[in-house]
Amino acid sequence: MILTKIFKQVFVFLAIITLLFSCSELFAHGVDENTKKFLIGNDGVAIFPYLYIGAKHMVTGYDHLLFILGVIFFLYRGKDILIYVSLFTLGHSITLLSGVLADIQMNAYLIDAVIGFSIIYKGFDNLGGFKKLMGYQPNTKLAVLIFGLFHGFGLATKIQEFEIAENGLISNLVAFNIGVEIGQVLALGLVMILLAYIRKSPVFNNAAVITNTALMSAGLMLMLFQLTSYAFQ
Amino acid sequence: MNKTIESGIKDVELTTKSLIKNSLVAIVIAISIFYTVIYPIEFGQDPLGTGKILGLPVLQAATKVETEPMNKSMYEFQKDSVDIIIPAKSGLEYKFKLTQFSNLTYKWTSEIPLYFDFHGEPKGDTTGYFESYTIATSNKMEGSMTVPFEGVHGWYWKNTSDEEVLVTLNTQGNYEVVGFVH
Repeated sequence: MILTKIFKQVFVFLAIITLLFSCSELFAHGVDENTKKFLIGNDGVAIFPYLYIGAKHMVTGYDHLLFILGVIFFLYRGKDILIYVSLFTLGHSITLLSGVLADIQMNAYLIDAVIGFSIIYKGFDNLGGFKKLMGYQPNTKLAVLIFGLFHGFGLATKIQEFEIAENGLISNLVAFNIGVEIGQVLALGLVMILLAYIRKSPVFNNAAVITNTALMSAGLMLMLFQLTSYAFQ
Repeated sequence: MNKTIESGIKDVELTTKSLIKNSLVAIVIAISIFYTVIYPIEFGQDPLGTGKILGLPVLQAATKVETEPMNKSMYEFQKDSVDIIIPAKSGLEYKFKLTQFSNLTYKWTSEIPLYFDFHGEPKGDTTGYFESYTIATSNKMEGSMTVPFEGVHGWYWKNTSDEEVLVTLNTQGNYEVVGFVH
């Protein structure tokens, strides 16, 4: 009954959260040691390594993935998925490239806190929160584009921490950006298969409510984590 | 139960009550997991004593060992990049203060190959003793050095050419920059 239902919900919820944070190395979501050494040591054009680092950053970057999951959660037409993902890509490409090239320095923790907030926003939006509580639906495409800009700043900030050599900077950045898109497509494919599978299920509506509530919660945890890191730095 | 809006988004129709309930559940779970688990593990703070109950300080200690394998240094972690100009027909030294077993990650390049001596001098030594880690002639060197003792560590470069030579040195680690030593 109601108690078992709540119990079940909390269980699924915790399972999802545990999965998300099971690896503390992932939690730090920086760039691992070897990558760091490469980034600092490299001088000149290195297309493939940057492609790889970009793709890896995206695939292991649960903050970007959670947001993407929220964005495509209720999209089932290929055309819509393409539009939204392109908007996200456009947004983060603009800020990734211009952020590094114009040498715009931002606090990584604060940017990551905004990324956490983007996940809360999308989860709440998916639950129909804005329409219900404010009586109006903010433009979903615009929101994806704007949050895309912040995600790009996050990527730019991380890349800038390594003072990459000027030599070959633009080629390497473009390679990194393309890598990010490859990683995104890979991750999207996985998420879409999972979603297609549960969409047919009779419990989809329940799963949708739980997952989007979990998204809000995970986003809030990320935000708390980043803001606390900011306070402690 | 589902409703299609113009953008193609099907959204879940929740009552205002369950929307608020779900949001509160999300907030409560996030805050409780944060304060009972994440805060103790990631920040070493244990305001509710849950870290102790769950045995988390051990985990925290383990994480600490992983991220800081070397002795706790009295110096802050930092990254530096410096351009060093070695005048024609002369040599100079650039050094860092490090505690025992701490790590200096470095990379330097010079315009032409230079004779160099990468070495360390123990703290408090007055006899002029030093230990060389690498003596060679090269236009670049890269690596990570775990220093065997507390003291100043760094490079001596000798420029035998008739023109000044630029050496670009990038370093990171827990150290204090001593800089030029003549």
